[in-house]
This record gives sequence, C-alpha cells and structure tokens, in this order.
Amino acid sequence: MPTIRNWYKTIYHKLFHLDDRLLLIIAGSIAGICSGLAAVALRLSLESVLEWLHGFRHYGWAFIIPAIGALLSSLYLEKIAREGAGHGVPEVIYSVSRYGGLLRFRSSYSRLISSFLTIGSGGSAGPEAPVVMSGSAIGSSLAKFLGLNDRQRITLVGCGTAGAIASIFNAPIAGLVFSIEVILGEWKFVNIIPIAIAAVAGAQVSQAIIPEQVIFNHQPFLVGASDILPSLCLAVVTAMISVLFTKVLRQTGKIAKKSSFPLWVRAVVGGCTVGIIGIFMPVVLGEGYHFIQSMISGTFSMSVFFIFVAVFAKIFATAMTLGWGGSGGIFAPCLLIGSLTGIVFHKALFSLFPTIGCASEGAYALLGMTGLISGVMQAPLTGIFLIVEITGGYETILPLIVVSSISSTMSHYIEPASFYFKELIERGQFLRPGTDARILSDLNIRELIETEFIKVSENMVFRKFIEIIKTSGQNFYPVIEDGTGEYKGVIQISAIRKYALDPGMYDMIFLNQIMDTGMMTASLENDLQEVLDMMDINNMDSISVVENDRFIGMILKTRILDLYRRELIMQTSVH
Amino acid sequence: MNYKLLHIFRNTPFGRETFLQSLYFCKTINAFPVAYIPKSDKFLMYFPNDAVQVDLDHSYLKAPGTAKSHAEDLFNEMDIKPMFYEPKNFTASSLPDIPTNFDYLCCPRSVSDLSSKIGLGHIGPKVRRIIKHATFPILITSPVFKPWKSISVFFGGSKNALNALKLGVKIAMSSGFSLDIYTLLEKQDEAYYRDLIKHEGLTEPVSQLSKQWHFYKQSDFDTMLYDVPHNSLIVLGAYGHGIIKDFLLGSKMEKVQSTVTNNLLITGPYCSIPLQ
Amino acid sequence: MELSVFDLSKHLGVAPNTIERWLRQGKLPVSPKGANYRFQTSELEKWASKHNINLKLSNKGIPEKERESVTPLSVAVKNGGVYSDIQANDVNGVLKACLEKISDISDDFKADLFDRLVEREKALSTGIGNGIAIPHPREQLSYLTSPMVSVCFLEHPVDYKALDNQPVSTLFFLLSPTLKMHLHLLSVLSFCLRDHQFTNFLKARPDSVALVEKIETLQKANSI
Repeated sequence: MPTIRNWYKTIYHKLFHLDDRLLLIIAGSIAGICSGLAAVALRLSLESVLEWLHGFRHYGWAFIIPAIGALLSSLYLEKIAREGAGHGVPEVIYSVSRYGGLLRFRSSYSRLISSFLTIGSGGSAGPEAPVVMSGSAIGSSLAKFLGLNDRQRITLVGCGTAGAIASIFNAPIAGLVFSIEVILGEWKFVNIIPIAIAAVAGAQVSQAIIPEQVIFNHQPFLVGASDILPSLCLAVVTAMISVLFTKVLRQTGKIAKKSSFPLWVRAVVGGCTVGIIGIFMPVVLGEGYHFIQSMISGTFSMSVFFIFVAVFAKIFATAMTLGWGGSGGIFAPCLLIGSLTGIVFHKALFSLFPTIGCASEGAYALLGMTGLISGVMQAPLTGIFLIVEITGGYETILPLIVVSSISSTMSHYIEPASFYFKELIERGQFLRPGTDARILSDLNIRELIETEFIKVSENMVFRKFIEIIKTSGQNFYPVIEDGTGEYKGVIQISAIRKYALDPGMYDMIFLNQIMDTGMMTASLENDLQEVLDMMDINNMDSISVVENDRFIGMILKTRILDLYRRELIMQTSVH
Repeated sequence: MNYKLLHIFRNTPFGRETFLQSLYFCKTINAFPVAYIPKSDKFLMYFPNDAVQVDLDHSYLKAPGTAKSHAEDLFNEMDIKPMFYEPKNFTASSLPDIPTNFDYLCCPRSVSDLSSKIGLGHIGPKVRRIIKHATFPILITSPVFKPWKSISVFFGGSKNALNALKLGVKIAMSSGFSLDIYTLLEKQDEAYYRDLIKHEGLTEPVSQLSKQWHFYKQSDFDTMLYDVPHNSLIVLGAYGHGIIKDFLLGSKMEKVQSTVTNNLLITGPYCSIPLQ
Repeated sequence: MELSVFDLSKHLGVAPNTIERWLRQGKLPVSPKGANYRFQTSELEKWASKHNINLKLSNKGIPEKERESVTPLSVAVKNGGVYSDIQANDVNGVLKACLEKISDISDDFKADLFDRLVEREKALSTGIGNGIAIPHPREQLSYLTSPMVSVCFLEHPVDYKALDNQPVSTLFFLLSPTLKMHLHLLSVLSFCLRDHQFTNFLKARPDSVALVEKIETLQKANSI
C-alpha cells in the first residue's frame, strides 16, 4: 500500500505541481466553458429582450427606455453589486499586472447583469467587455479555488477572457489573440496552449447552443489588386475616426464626472439622449449586430449623407451611454462605426470614380471594421483575426492586413495610448511583464533594504567616530539622538574626508556638527519608482529609509542593480 | 520594532470608541496607529490568495469635513503622532486598494452592515473574510472603549492556537501586562498541552510571563468564559479545528465572540507570528 | 537535501521576503503545502540550470572572511633581534653590513635580499627622517616563515639620503612573508616612531629585551 500511495503522490506531484501544463489545460478548458456559457447567456438574453422591446419602439415615449435601462444598470452596479463603473477591461489588466490576476468573484456576474440592462434597453454599447470581465473573473475564481499561484492564475484569467470572446463572436483565434495581445501582454509558450484550448472550448459551447456557424453571413467578395490603393485611403479615414471616437469617449466621461448630478440623474440624462437620437436613427441603438449584418450583405439602405451622420451619431450615442452611467464595452460600437465608415467611403469612392473596378460595399464594411478595431484598441492582430473569423472569409485578408496595420500605426502616432491602456498609463499602472515599470513595482522596498548598520550617537566625539571607521567597512553612518533613538542625519565617509584626514579636528567636533541632516529620506511606504526618482533628482547613490523617526536601513544603488537583474531574469525566463 | 496598525476611521461616536481602543492598543504595545479616512464606501484588499472587497456602511462617509480634525484630536488626546493613510493605487476610480502589509488591523464587529444592528454575537461577513485571509492579526474591539489590563490567551492546541499563544507572549512582553492561559480540556490532558508548548520552545517565555495556566473540563466552557477578567484582552485563533471552516470561524470562536464583551485579538489561518 | 526559505534566500543572495513573493508569483519550482515551504536541492538545480541562474548551492553562502592573525610588532622585533655598533659609510655599505649581522636569515638568501633592498632604496629612500630608516623590499619574501623586524644601530650616522637630509643612525629592517603583515607592521611601527618618548628612548640604544618591553607597553596603551 505505501508504495502505491507514494506512486500516486509522485504522479500527482509531477503532473500538477512540478509541471503544471496539464493542470492548466484542464482548468483552462473549464474556465473557457464557463465563460463561454456566460457569454452565450448574455447574447441570447440580449437578443430576446431586444426583440421584445422592438414592439414598443414606435411609441413616442420609447426614448425613455434606454434611460430606464441605464438607470437600473447604474443603480445595480453602484448599490447592489457595489462595483466601480466602467467597462472593466482596464481593471482586469491592472489586476493581472499588479496582483497576479486576483479578481473579485462578484465581477463574474455583475457586469453581465448591468450590461444586459444597458444594452437590452437600447443603450449604445457592446456586450464584449462585460463578458471579458466576467470570463476573467471566472478564471480567477477558479484559480483561487484550486489554490494556484500568480502565474497560473494569470493564465486562467487569460483562458476565461479567451473563452468569452471566442464564444460571443464564435471566433476562437480572435479570442486567443485578444487575450494574449490585450489582457496578458506576453506571448509565452506556457500561456498559449491553455488559452488556445479555452478559446476553442468557449467557441464550441457557443456553437452547441447557437447552431449558426458565423455571425455575419455574406456572399464571397471579389477583392483584387485594385483594392489596395482605396484600402490605404480607408485606413487613414478609420484611423481618424478611431482617434475621434477615443477622444469623445474620454471627454464625455470626464464631463459626466465633473458634473455634480447624482449618479441616477446622469444615467437618465445619458439614456434619454441616446433614446432621442435613436428615434431618428435606430441604427445607434443596442449593440447593432443586425445592422452590421445587413451592411455586409449589401442590403443596407440609407442615403450617403444619412450614413455619414450616423457615424458621428453612433460615436456620440456610445459616449453618452458609457460615459454617463451605462455599462458595456466598445467592441460592438467599433464594429458598427467601422462598417458605417467603410460604406460611406465606398459610396464616396464610387461617386468620385464611377468607373473604378473595386469590390463591393460589404467588403469595405469589413475593412472599415478592422480599421476601427485596430485603431481604437491598437491591437492589429485582434482586428485581423476577429474580422476574418466573424465573416468566415479569407479572401479579404490582404487588404485587411493593410488597413489594420496602417490604421493602428496612424492612431498610435496621434494617440500613443490605446483606449484600454490610456487610463492605466495615466495612473502609471501600465505594467507589462518584463518592462522596467513592472520590475520596479514588483520589487519592494523591504526586499532591497540593508539593515545591518552601526548607528552612532549625535553627541559622539569625532575621535571616537574615527576609531569606528577604522574597524568597520561601512560607508554610511546613521546618526541618532541619544535618549529617544530618533534619526537625526547621516554621515557619509566621502563627505567628511577632509576632517578625517586632519587629526587636529578629532577632539574639536561632535558628530552632530558634521552630519548631513538635509539628505532626503525614503519611507517603507514609498514605491521603488518613487525612491529611484528621489535618488536621481538629488544625484544620490544611497538613501536612508526612515519610518516614524527611526532609522530602518539603507537602500544602495548597487544593491538595486543586483536585485533588478535577478528580477528581470526571473520574469523573462521561459517557464 | 516598527509595528503598524491600520484603523479605518469612522466619524461617529461609535467610531470614536473603536478608535480610542486602537490608540490604546498601540500605546500599550508600542505600535504606531495609522488612520485611513475612507473617501468612498468601498475598498479592496489584495491578500495573497484572494481579493476582498470591503463595503463600508454609510456611517463611514458621514461628515467628511470634520473627520480629519476629529481623528487628530483623538491622536493628540492619547499623545500619539497623527498618521493618516492615503491610498496610492486604485483598481477603479472609486475603488482604492488598501495594502495588506500592516501588522495589525482594527475592526469593529461589522463594517458593512449598519452598526446599529450589531450587538454581541454578530461578526459581519466582511470582517470574517478579512480574518480568513489576513496575514496579520485583527483587533476586534468592544463596543465601548475599555482599557485592558491583562492578557488572556485561549489555547486549544491547534497550529493557529500556537500562533495566538505566540502573539499573546509578544504582547505581554511589549506591554508588561500579565498573561493568563485558558485551556479547555477536550481529549487530551494537561501534560499534552505542556508538551506542545515545550516542543515549540515556548515554555520559558510562558513561564516567565504567565501568571497562571487555567484548565477547564469540556463542560465548563461557560464557566471559563465567565472567569476571564472583564478588563483583559483575549487573544485567540480563528478556526481551531472543525469541518465547516468556511462558514463559521470555528465553533469555539463563535461562542467566544458571541458571549464576551472583551476586546478580541484574532489570528487567522494565514497569520504567521514570528516570536522575535 | 531540503532547504528552507531562509537557506535559499542566502544562496540566491536575496531577501527572504523576495523568495516568498517569487513563490506566490509562481516563479520558483515549488507549490505551497502549508505555511512552511521546503525546497528539494535536486529540483532547484534542475530549474536553475534550465533558466541559467547562478545558484550557489555547493558552498554555504559567502565564506566568512578568515581573520588572519597579525603578528604584533613586539613579536616581530623579538624575531628580528637588535644589533648595534655597525660600521659603514654609505647606503649600500650600511645595508650589506646590517644584513651580514642579521642572523635569522639564512646566508643563501642574503644576496637576493640585498639586491632587493638596494633596488627599493634607489626608488625612494626609506629614511623617514629624525635619523631613522625602515629599509624593506617591495616584494614579499616567501622564504620567511614569520615576519621579522631587525633593529640595527650604526656606530656613526650615515648619509642615507633621508627625507629630511639628516644622517641616519637607526634602521628597522622590515621583512615579511605577506603584504598584509607588512602593511600592519609598517603602520604600527610608524605609529610608534611618531611617539617622542619612543624616539628618545631609541637614542639610548636599548637592547632587545628593553625594546620589546617598551613596544609592548606602547601596543597595550593604544590597543594596536
């Protein structure tokens, strides 16, 4: 018996602990399935509620429906789920980079409900960010349940995200790419396999429940070499629109935050605005997949001018929904704005050059979508694969890549921070693995500090101090007050050299006369980044750490280099 | 040493009592209290294996204008240098992260439910989750400020109880108050418990600091609780042994916290208490 | 072999709380089992070689710096001996005459030592002033087993090209097998020579016993 138990132990240990790939694959596929179910549930319930509300759209009072939805959604988030507003993707990235992917369990359902209320009532937003949030929270909770460490938890968060995106778009590769490109930010061998499996699991769940194969069906497009030049121009247009969209979104949010209205008033204002726009342009309401479908298949019938206005109406409506208290993502609005832009561009192109022999309107709608997704998220791969997968066609891949790369490059040039990252970068919390900021945030002052120091009293005679210097190898001596032990200053050997070489001074001075009291000190609460900045500005090689007037220790630049290197090795080494 | 206690300041008379209790605790054991005056009704604590969102009840946000000066007055009354914590990191704009590297945390029995509902016998769900995940001991205060003059450790023999004993010894050393140990004999006899602390190398400090080690028969639990002096700080570990760990803090702990009015210092399962 | 967090932190040269953080973040090949972590050396070695990490497992951390026992000056003088009434007219003559007298160096090395001493004097005179010189070679003398300081008193002061141009009458031959010992003796010797009482005492040309005793009291008083 004992041998069998030992065998079992060894196998268990080898399988799940030393080499955790199998564990991650199994747990990852569970996370993928769960988040896929969450995504499918949201999609199905959205479809049915939109259908049900469609009957009320023609009434005059219909414009308050989005207001009610936004109101309920914001009240739910604030009072019942008690979560901060916002679409949640920055929160996931923040948690992945700073806290090893720890997310609250309540996040796995709260955004689903609030975005269901917002979008279902007609608010202009997408269901993707909420399912990303809930998928990643599912992954994180699963990891917590299994007692996994940070690295494994991060992988499971990625799995949850991939499953959610894969399921809502029925696009496994897009799920994988989005998860790695946007959420995790590192292409690591150990991450890719579990995430890929989770993405496939998520997509399978969605296929099993909703049997249709691709979201947007269309006739094959005939795309040729003559489309390259127009798509270059389209890319420039979509880049502009993306930047405009990002700016409007952020500005509206800021205005809403500055206004002194209570939360529910804001939500009602935002909702009503969207509702009123929706009366004239129903295209702005909801997530708009239905309209995208008709645009791709070329059955969309609106005048050029109207479509042109609709682009900006949609931008404004989305900003009003998200900035003023609604809950949801920008993925679907991006797709809609992109396809509207593509169609306007196509129509304009034909009116200018009626003889040009390029592809149909639907193809340009696709290109526009890619342009917007890549431009807003600055994630070119996600843009390409998502569009390829949701339209089920590879024939447009060449112009897709052209549009995607140019659009993301241009918008990156104008606005270096993408929509998802902007908030984090502004807060200094954009900590991608292997970057300087990440290493500095991981390293803690407590780990760097050297505490073995001989302390000297401020009333010590210099001669006695010289005797101490002779026998110890220390370069810094903290000076403390006699009775209380309070930190008074520091003596640096290099600074007192001229007195040390002059025996005549030995009995003349006390340490409090030669100590440096003006030297900056750090505290244990400081981040390493702050400490390094302090040292850089004052050109110091070392800094004392003082807490509650007590000398704790010293941070030396040489020690920082040493640990920085170790940390870098540990972070970037392939597991 | 440089121990720090985090106190979430509540600007109400009830909050004043708990704050005074924190200050007294710190003054007695030479720790430094740090007050956090919440600006939003929730905050997040990232423990090693969980993120706990603490939803505060409305009374925490009352009268934000006077909160700081009230706290400062209380600091000055106890002759302690005022220290305030300002959150640096935010998970979302209204959701600050509170670091978990403090050495103690002070909690009233409940933070998320209205304090008017709390009598004895109700430790709120958030406080429970904090105890469950915290790597530091939690000070749960009595409803009114009550200076304690001795330390009572409830020692049941589990790993966590050993932690509690170590903590009791540490506090007795730094405060100079006497230490009493209370043990309920369940399956083992006295010698077993004495062996246990000998094995941990605790015999010497315990015999030096401890006035008496009280042993009680299992049926005398209530007597034991009554025998604990009313002005004593009770140190005990949550989750001694038991199966339904997740819902209750351990059967003994539940009984203790619902019966006594003393201040409790609780060590959770993730606490590690170095003796030095 | 099993290691604790503390042991490993010593081997990797980081703080124990860094190890704890790495464990939490999953950067080390071990999974939590209770509050105490143990590391298997074999697993660690495999992991370290895979990730090109320098793991100093074999030697237990940094070896404690051996405190070399330093020979006190008094002992060195006892080793070297005191010689007086040496006759010579110039630097080389002085060195030659003294070396011949010093009995503790075997005759095989005397020629070599003489060359070295002359070379050192050519570079810069060791006459430190006040009628005193400390001739010594620049290289260490591996053939000595213990350091020695031989004190030689000349019959007549000789022009030694000393720093203060005064003729030299007292020489301290400082011969040491290691540099560390050499520097130590030199520092103690120059400390003694700064003492006026001591230099006055030297003028009386004491014998070995008296000189060693004097040095011993000086050493004791200043704890050197």
